[in-house]
Amino acid sequence: MGDLTNVAVNRMTGKVCDERIATMKHSKRKPIGNLANPNLLFDYTNREVGTLPDDNRAHFKWVSEVAYKNIHRIVTRGYDTTELVEAGYGVCDVLFIDFQARIPLVEERKVLDYCLLVGLEDGLSNPALIARLVARGKSYLTQAAGASVFAFGEAYGAFKNFGYMLEKYYNKIAEEGLSMADAAALCAKECYAEDHFGINENYVKDPTPKHLLAYAEKTLAGKKELKYVPFLKEVVKAAQAQIGYVEADVMAAITAALMDCEFTPDAVWCMLGVTRAFSAGAHVCEEIERECERDGFDAYGSTLTPKEWYDGPADKPVPPITERGNFKGGQAQTPDEWKALWNKKAKELSGSGFAIDFVLDDARKVVHGKKK
Amino acid sequence: MDRKPLIQRKTGISYKTEEKTVLRGYNVCELADAGYTFIDGLYILFQGRIPAENERAMLDYEVAEFLEHSMSPSAAAAIGVINGHPMLPAAVGASIATFGGAHGPGAQHGYMMKKYLDRAVLEHKTVEEVAVECVDEYMDSGRAVMGMGQPQHLDGDPRAEPTHLKQEEIGVVGVYLKFQRALEKRFYARRFAEGRSYVAVNMVGAGNTALSDMGFSPNAAWTIGCVTRGYSCSCHALYTLKKGRAWGASRNEPMVQMLDLSMIKYIGPDDREVPPQSEREAYALNELKTGEFKKWVI
Repeated sequence: MGDLTNVAVNRMTGKVCDERIATMKHSKRKPIGNLANPNLLFDYTNREVGTLPDDNRAHFKWVSEVAYKNIHRIVTRGYDTTELVEAGYGVCDVLFIDFQARIPLVEERKVLDYCLLVGLEDGLSNPALIARLVARGKSYLTQAAGASVFAFGEAYGAFKNFGYMLEKYYNKIAEEGLSMADAAALCAKECYAEDHFGINENYVKDPTPKHLLAYAEKTLAGKKELKYVPFLKEVVKAAQAQIGYVEADVMAAITAALMDCEFTPDAVWCMLGVTRAFSAGAHVCEEIERECERDGFDAYGSTLTPKEWYDGPADKPVPPITERGNFKGGQAQTPDEWKALWNKKAKELSGSGFAIDFVLDDARKVVHGKKK
Repeated sequence: MDRKPLIQRKTGISYKTEEKTVLRGYNVCELADAGYTFIDGLYILFQGRIPAENERAMLDYEVAEFLEHSMSPSAAAAIGVINGHPMLPAAVGASIATFGGAHGPGAQHGYMMKKYLDRAVLEHKTVEEVAVECVDEYMDSGRAVMGMGQPQHLDGDPRAEPTHLKQEEIGVVGVYLKFQRALEKRFYARRFAEGRSYVAVNMVGAGNTALSDMGFSPNAAWTIGCVTRGYSCSCHALYTLKKGRAWGASRNEPMVQMLDLSMIKYIGPDDREVPPQSEREAYALNELKTGEFKKWVI
């Protein structure tokens, strides 16, 4: 370590955090504001100037087990992509290779193809609406289509949460010795109120999910043992017994079928979000073609908001800025005062965020065996 | 021109007629004419009130200091996206969307404070007592205490402690700073006693505490933090767009670029021959049977 005479030392530890700063220039500056306060963690008036010098580590690399490329080839999971397509493999095959590092059975490829087709379009649901709204500002089509992917969450398009729910209860068959029917009944009992449950009244009249599940069963029959499709059907039966006439929705059917093709719930979420963005692109085109011509694009999204839709604070005069000194601050000093203030704002001011609750994990619950 | 909204919603935030835009009851134009600022507007937007002068000054301080953070995940996202030369908003949107569980997890820190303050109310404990319980519960269970630690500023985020001091200096101290100070005291003491390395308060721990004492909800605070950073990320994107080369892979730059081919290190399956379609089914069945692929599934 070099001369540390001028190096700012951490006042908590009495140490210098990184040897490289010993070689750096230092600047003794006139303290500004609170920056000479001795309670600060280190000496702000004598901090190093400039960027940190290199150390002896290897330089940054993009590390990937998915793909690499050199000047003449692009390789995914070991397969040259040009050779793949020249050999007759298609987009669904490459999705298997990218996400699973394997070439699928022809039957698995067909199931994925079916799912992507069914998942491509969903009418004027959130992804399409978001894309249309973004497009009304005359953005690039890519921005509008890309924004549509943001619509997929823990309720709409909840492929991930649904998939992990299905996996959790299916695993109870082996882990806890439950029958498939009992595991399914437990799933329905414990999860029917969840946003991602995937079994509801939305598809009692639309046969698509049933067709999809039947197609997966028929196509993969004799090729591999299915786990999640039959289990989903059991959960549907249990849900019908518990909560009435409901069916699996398209999200649930796609997830189960693709998990039986070894895709993880996360992978399903990614693939379907991107698939839907194709149709979002079409909605964007239609929005531009049809709505723009018809009504002048609603002032490009700069619409009016009628007062009768407004239920916030009543109109009031803006006080002179000289009166600001009379305004009371918003700090609470005791927990009781804080709680009363929180509840008041939650009740009285929509859009402030105070009425949104968020449940954190119990911090006393040990994570990954890390207990000290 | 038809200006009817595409989606009809009741709202308590604002209304807009041909005559005026009214935010939480205040005519926005009149606010500006009266000398109120963008910072005042943030208070009105999220809290429906005009702030006291010290509160306005505190938020101005925090937004200004939080705006730029050089190379963080958000800036890297903006730079990465703009390398493809989309419109700038795509890069800016991506940078804002980068904020999550690890980068600026402001809302979660806010809800952590709320959870333990709720406990103080319910169990008649002091702020200091619940702060100690918070640290002990998180550390005992192997969790990271939110608001502590930053991988780049090893001696502590240079903005963090000055933010605490500024809160104290201008008198915007409330129950949250008392909690956070007590939390830090316990956290440092425990790590020292356990012989563990020094980990300082980060900008979530400091900035979010200040925003909470300024009266913002966890989600409002998160919005303010993340969107503020969008300003500087747009600047990084614009710099890259105007002064850099598209793709970030040019061999004519003096420094190896982020997407230069030599930056790639591949650790996946070895190169292998593509099987002909005539052998595909047997090949695929064998792959399923051996299960070798499973170690690569993500």
